[in-house]
Amino acid sequence: MADKSLKKDQVKNLLNKIAQSNQLIAPILSDGITLFKPVQSGEGVVLDYQNAVVPPKDFFFPQSEKMFSYDMSDPSWAIKPEEGVPNRVLFGARPCDVKSILLLDKVFDAEFRDDFYIDKRNKTTIVAISCNDCRHTCFCGAFGISPGKAEGADLLLTDLGDRYLVEVLTDKGETLAANCSDLFSNDDGSGAAAKEKATAPALEKQMKIDLEGVKAKLDNMFDHPMWAAESLRCIGCGTCTFVCPTCHCFDIVDFNNQSSVGYRYRCADSCQFANFTRAAGGHQPRPSKMERTRQRFMHKLRYFVDRYGDFGCVGCGRCLEKCPVNLDIAQIINKVKEVG
Amino acid sequence: MCDCKTREVASPLLPHIATINKVIDETSNIKTFQVAFDEPGVLENFGNMPGQCCMLSILGVGESMISITSSPTRKGMLEFSIVKVGRLTDAIHELGEGDKMAIRGPYGNNFPYEMMKGKNLLIIAGGIGLAPVRSLIDYALDNRDDYGRVDIVYGARSTDLLCFKYDVFDKWPKVKDTHVHVTIDREEENWNGHVGFVPSYVEELAFSAENTIAVTCGPPIMIKFVLQALEKMGFKDEDIITTLEMNMRCGIGKCGRCNIGEKYICVDGPVFNLSQIKKLPPEF
Amino acid sequence: MNKVTENLRKTAAKLLQDKEVDMVIGYGLGSEAVRTQPVFITSPDDVDKLVWNPFCVNGLTKYLSDMKDHPGKMAVVVKGCDSRGIYRLAQDSIIPRDKVVVIGIPCAGQLSYTKLASKIDVSGQLKDVEEKGEDVVIKTSKGDFTVKKSEVFLDKCTTCEHHNPVVADHVVGDAINTCPTPDNYDEIKKYEAMSPEEKAKFWLSQFGRCIRCYACRNTCPGCTCRECVFDAIKPDWVGKEIDVSENELFHLTRAFHLAGRCVDCGECDRVCPMDIPIRLLNKKLLKDCKELFNMETPGSTEEGGSVIGQYRLEDPEEFM
Repeated sequence: MADKSLKKDQVKNLLNKIAQSNQLIAPILSDGITLFKPVQSGEGVVLDYQNAVVPPKDFFFPQSEKMFSYDMSDPSWAIKPEEGVPNRVLFGARPCDVKSILLLDKVFDAEFRDDFYIDKRNKTTIVAISCNDCRHTCFCGAFGISPGKAEGADLLLTDLGDRYLVEVLTDKGETLAANCSDLFSNDDGSGAAAKEKATAPALEKQMKIDLEGVKAKLDNMFDHPMWAAESLRCIGCGTCTFVCPTCHCFDIVDFNNQSSVGYRYRCADSCQFANFTRAAGGHQPRPSKMERTRQRFMHKLRYFVDRYGDFGCVGCGRCLEKCPVNLDIAQIINKVKEVG
Repeated sequence: MCDCKTREVASPLLPHIATINKVIDETSNIKTFQVAFDEPGVLENFGNMPGQCCMLSILGVGESMISITSSPTRKGMLEFSIVKVGRLTDAIHELGEGDKMAIRGPYGNNFPYEMMKGKNLLIIAGGIGLAPVRSLIDYALDNRDDYGRVDIVYGARSTDLLCFKYDVFDKWPKVKDTHVHVTIDREEENWNGHVGFVPSYVEELAFSAENTIAVTCGPPIMIKFVLQALEKMGFKDEDIITTLEMNMRCGIGKCGRCNIGEKYICVDGPVFNLSQIKKLPPEF
Repeated sequence: MNKVTENLRKTAAKLLQDKEVDMVIGYGLGSEAVRTQPVFITSPDDVDKLVWNPFCVNGLTKYLSDMKDHPGKMAVVVKGCDSRGIYRLAQDSIIPRDKVVVIGIPCAGQLSYTKLASKIDVSGQLKDVEEKGEDVVIKTSKGDFTVKKSEVFLDKCTTCEHHNPVVADHVVGDAINTCPTPDNYDEIKKYEAMSPEEKAKFWLSQFGRCIRCYACRNTCPGCTCRECVFDAIKPDWVGKEIDVSENELFHLTRAFHLAGRCVDCGECDRVCPMDIPIRLLNKKLLKDCKELFNMETPGSTEEGGSVIGQYRLEDPEEFM
C-alpha cells in the first residue's frame, strides 16, 4: 500500500476510531512520567515523548501475569488457563522498543512456543512512531536500529511538523489502515524526503557506540578482572532488568491463600537478585554481585548473540539512565573495547 | 502462529494431573513416587527418553524440576525419586498412594542411548545421583543385546543412604554381563562390601576405556574426582557424560534461571559430555 | 581541580599509605557530565579517581553494610545527610564505628541529574564546575552551561538539617555556616489534611507504578536485615506478584520498619526509577516520631537507637 498522510488534527480521531474496535494501548503522561497504558480514546495520548520509562514489552510479557486457575477440591484439579487478550493496537512505540519485541519473539516463539506471549503478539497490531529527537542516553544506532525505521511494526508514523507520514509495513498494518482510510490522504510523494530530514537530528544527536569486535572480545573475557571492578558499585537492585525492553527472565509462583482454590502466575524476575539462581538445597552458582553483573552484560552482548544471532540490547538507554549507581552499558562496551 | 483456542491443550506451561500409585522409601529423606496421568492418552504420548526431566508440582506450594528415574521401556507409569530439601519436596514427601500431583514435561535432552549402542557402559553414581542414570541403566538392560558389558559403580556415605537397593543388590546383578560394584565411605557393621570413596574405587577397578562410554552423576565433589580418574584411565572427553543441575522455573528455555553461557540447561541439558562442559562458562 | 577534591585525594592517599584503611569509598567521574559513580580505591596510586563536585548525590554508607565482612578498615566519604547513616549502622550493630574512617565533606546541596538532563546537554564529559553566586557553570566536552542552582537542586537539598557531617574523622573542605533549614513539614501537612479517600487514591496510584526493583531498599542505610522479609522464600510473607496491593504491602511494611530509624537521606526518592515519592512516607513517620517522642532525626548523634525500640514512662499512650 502506498504511503499515506495523516493531518495532525486527525490523530485523535484515528485513536478514537481504533479504540472503538480494539483495546488501544498508547503513551500517556501519568503523575509526570510517560507510560504505556490501555486507554479508552485518544484523550491524553502523548506522541512527542522521548521514551516511556518502562518499555511496552509489558503488553506481550506482563511484569505479572496469571497463567491458570485451579481448584484442588475438584478431582481433576480444574486447571483453567486464563482467557486470551482482545484484539489490540499498540500505538506510538519507538523503533528501539519495536525491535525489542522481535528479540523477544526469538525467545518466546522458539522450540517450545509460549502461548501466553504468542496470543498477545498475534492479537496486537503495532503502530510505531519515528524519533525526531532522542534522549541523551540513546544509542540505538549501535544495534542497526534507525530512528526513522521500525522493523517489526505494522504501521510507521513520522511527525513531519504539520502532518504524519504513514507507512504501511505489513498486512496487519494494511488492515488497520484500510479500516481508518477515511482519515488518511495519499502522500503527495514528498513524505520520504521529509521523513529523512525530520529524523536526522535523532540520528545525529545520539551516542555513537561502535560494537565492532566487542562480541569477540567478550568471548574471552569471562575471567576478566573488569567484572569485579565494575560490580563493586552495583547495589543489586533490579532496575536495569525491569526497565529493559529485552530482559525476559521470570519466576513462576502459585497463589492459594491456604485454600484449595488458587492460581499460578509468572512475574518478571531479575538475574541481579541473589535468589534468582539459588537452588532449594542452597547451591548458588552466582554467589556475588560480580557474577550477577557479569551475567547481565554477557547475556546481552555475548550469550544472546551466540544463541539467537543478535545482540540482546536495543540501545534504548533506559538502564543507564535509571541505574542508581551509573553502571552504564555504553560505558561497559567502551571499556571492553579498550581491553588489550 | 497458534490459534488461542488450542492453548488449553498446547501450552507447555500447563501441567497434567497424575495420581500416585506407589511410594517407595529409599532412605530417611528420599522417596520414589510411581505415578500415572489421570487423563487417558497423556502417558502413552508422553515420549520421554532416558535422562529427561519433568516439572513436578503441588499447586499452591511450588514446582520443581525432577529427573524421570524410570526407563520408558517400563510402560504405564513414571517414577521420580525425590530428596526432601525444601518447601515443595517436604510437601511431596507427605503424599501417599492415591494423592495427586501436577506434572508437565518431558523436558531437556537425554542420554545418547542410540550412540551408546554396541558399546560398553560404565555408570558411576553417588547417592541420589543414581536416580537420573537409573533410567538409562534400565533402558540398556531392557535392550540388553544392543549394549556391551555394563558396569555400575555406586556409592553412598553409609548403607542406609543407598537408594534403589532392590535394583542394586537384586535385579541388576542378575542380568547377563552386568556388574554392580557398591561402596560406602566408612566401615560399617554387617557390611562385607567395599569401603572407600567412589572415585578411588573407580581407579581401583581399573576399567578399560576401550569402546566404553562413562556416565557419572552424583554430588559435585564426587563428579570432580571421578572426572579426574576417568581422564587418567584414558577416557576421551566425548566419552564422558554427566548431568548438570541448575535452579529452574519454566523448563522450556525462557525464564533464564538455568542459563549458562549460550545454553539453557533445561532444554540443552541436563546431559552433557565433558567436551561440551569444558566449553561452558564455569557457572554451575 | 577544586580545593576539596585536592584535599580529599591527599587525605585518601595518606590513609591508604599509612595502612589505616585498605579501601576508600568515594565518588569518581561518571559516564555523563553531571553524574558521578561510587569508586572503591585500594591503592594510593589510584586516589586521582576521587572527585568532589555538586553531582555527588549517592549515599555511600550502605556499601559499609554490604561489605561488613570486609576484613580491613574502610574509609567512606559522606555528606551531612549521609553522615547520619554512620551512626545508624553503628546503632544497629551492623558496622562498629571503629571499623570506619569517616571522611566528611560539608555540602551546600547536590544537583539533580534528572533536572539537569531536562535543561542542558549532559552527555559530554565533565571538565570543570564553577559556582558563581546563585548560578553554577558546568563545563563539559559538549560546551559550557550556566544553570540556576535553585532550579536543579535535589528536592531534599532545598531543606537541609546538616550541611556539615554530624560525624567525621577527617573533614575535607570548609564548614558551611549558612543556617540549616530543617523541614517544617509543610508538604506532609498537605497530605495529612487529605481525606482517607484522597490519601488512598494518591498512594494507590503511586504504588500502582512500582516495579518492585527494590532500589529503594538496596540503597537504604536503614535496610540492613540479614534476610529481607521481601526476599524470604519460606514463608513468603509478600507475594512476588506485581500488583497494587502487594506493592502497597511492600512500601508500607518497609516504611513502618524504618520508623524511628530512617536517617532521612532521601536516597529512596532519588533512586526510584518510577518517581514514587517514597521519602514522603518516611517523612510522615519521622514527623510523627518527632512529635510523639521528641526524637531527633535518627543518626544525628552517637547516642540513641530506635525510639520505637525503647520504652520510656513518659511515652504518649493515647492510642491505648
